Amino acid sequence: MKHLDYSAPCEREAGERTWEVVRAAFEERLPSPRKRDWRPFALAAAAAVILAAAFSPPGNAVFGSLRDAVRGEQNAKPALASLPAPGRLLAESSSGIWVVQNDGSKRLLAGYRDAAWSPHGLYVAAVHGNELRALEPNGRVHWSLGRTGRLRNPRWSFDGFRIAYFAGRSLRVVNGDGTGDRLLTRDVRPGPAAWQPNAHTLAYVNRAGDIEITNVDKRNRSAIVQTRAAPRQLAWASDGKTFIAVEPHAVEVFSKRGPRIGGLDRGIAQVSAAAVSPNGKRIAFVETRGGRSTLQLTGVPGGPTGPIFEGAGTFANIDWSPDGRWLLLDWSSADQWLFIHSPVQKVLAVSNIRANFGADSRIAGWCCP
Amino acid sequence: MVAGSRGDERAWIRGAQSGSVPDLEALFKHHWPRAYRAAYLVVHDSGAAEDIAQEAFLAAVRSLDRFDRRRPFGPWLHRIVVNRAIDWSRSRALRRESGDAALALVAAAAPAERDDTEPLAAALADLSPEHRAVIVMRHLLDYTPGEIAEALGLPRGTVNSRLRRGLDELAGKLDEDLR
Repeated sequence: MKHLDYSAPCEREAGERTWEVVRAAFEERLPSPRKRDWRPFALAAAAAVILAAAFSPPGNAVFGSLRDAVRGEQNAKPALASLPAPGRLLAESSSGIWVVQNDGSKRLLAGYRDAAWSPHGLYVAAVHGNELRALEPNGRVHWSLGRTGRLRNPRWSFDGFRIAYFAGRSLRVVNGDGTGDRLLTRDVRPGPAAWQPNAHTLAYVNRAGDIEITNVDKRNRSAIVQTRAAPRQLAWASDGKTFIAVEPHAVEVFSKRGPRIGGLDRGIAQVSAAAVSPNGKRIAFVETRGGRSTLQLTGVPGGPTGPIFEGAGTFANIDWSPDGRWLLLDWSSADQWLFIHSPVQKVLAVSNIRANFGADSRIAGWCCP
Repeated sequence: MVAGSRGDERAWIRGAQSGSVPDLEALFKHHWPRAYRAAYLVVHDSGAAEDIAQEAFLAAVRSLDRFDRRRPFGPWLHRIVVNRAIDWSRSRALRRESGDAALALVAAAAPAERDDTEPLAAALADLSPEHRAVIVMRHLLDYTPGEIAEALGLPRGTVNSRLRRGLDELAGKLDEDLR
């Protein structure tokens, strides 16, 4: 065998599409300085001081916008041209769900809401009218399941073999291929639910506002965790040994058997969202106090908390990039998304979110490089 | 455009580093076919091949300012392409989500996007990603076993044995097809 002469299918069309993407990336890149002078070193030194301050114990300096009015970050890009880390985004809006590719191209799946990625990002579970559907990111539907009552919050188990979802005031589970739909419990508050990694075990909030942890296959409950206030969000650490509960004024950390092992009482501040980093070691959460919101970072057991971004108005949601290097912050009051490198080295802002994604848009998930 | 010599390539890179879109386009057009073909022959999925080759070019754009013009661009690009193609093929093999069976049915029902009339490409698809990669690098991209070893981070002996086994397997499959 000497030389392999081969022309691959779709080579020309793929080349034309890719050239457009590459050219766009080229045109928006920041040229590096041609002349070496001392300014970069001065900036680096200033950045190091800021970093040191941001990650010192409480009392930290705040990196980010300190403004009285909601003006958002300056130098924000008018549209999302690309994601700063590998993966794809799901965003929801009043017109449907958007699948945003790494190069910034996006597809609207009209009429869908309450979307969630499957573990490897091959599929999306989403609600369409009275149906729960599993579809590919290109919109091809694999199965659908009609149910009465308002359907919401489908969530895939770690292996994709189970999907938990709320139907009216009940919590149900269906197999990942659309078979075996069954009622798990009616003693539930619709909304928060989280699968334990590496198990078919689900944490959810019962009507009393306490957290129940149940193996959905064996239907045995392994723990009931009493809470001070009904959690609005639950999330497991990646090792499955601990989980966090976002309460109105606190982020609590519990072991999988139930005992509280740490937490952060935020006083009068409202805690609105939290996300555990992919390596399970850090929690990012958002708190709002006196018309200003702050993105905070802490270790999973609790402990010192560092504010890493502050701004006027409301931060609606946060998510980690799949590689754990970036946080995506939905600064809804400023109509901006901020991609914040963690540890904080830079902030990339994108504005016009409502114009680009539709009213009531929100981040639904960043998945799978 | 004359097929790019090393001098052309240096000029394109220098131009692109200065912000010239035409120079970047020349560099892209010169390297795209082989990058895409290499990715395709390892992953055998045109969508994935496009993603992989595109990611490699985007990585090139991101590092353009730091790129050393004295070094050839192709080997750097191909190393990214082939390594990502191998990773993609391995992860694809590991993905066993529920619903894959349904996906396979849909895929089977869809018109074939691959030209299976070409027996060599079809036979190559039956090899492991690792064997495909070394054969593609050797016989499509024309790298020496030493260069392949460096690009893939493998001992040279491993490259040689993969080449030998891959080619033997390929010959066997082509014999079967011709029988």
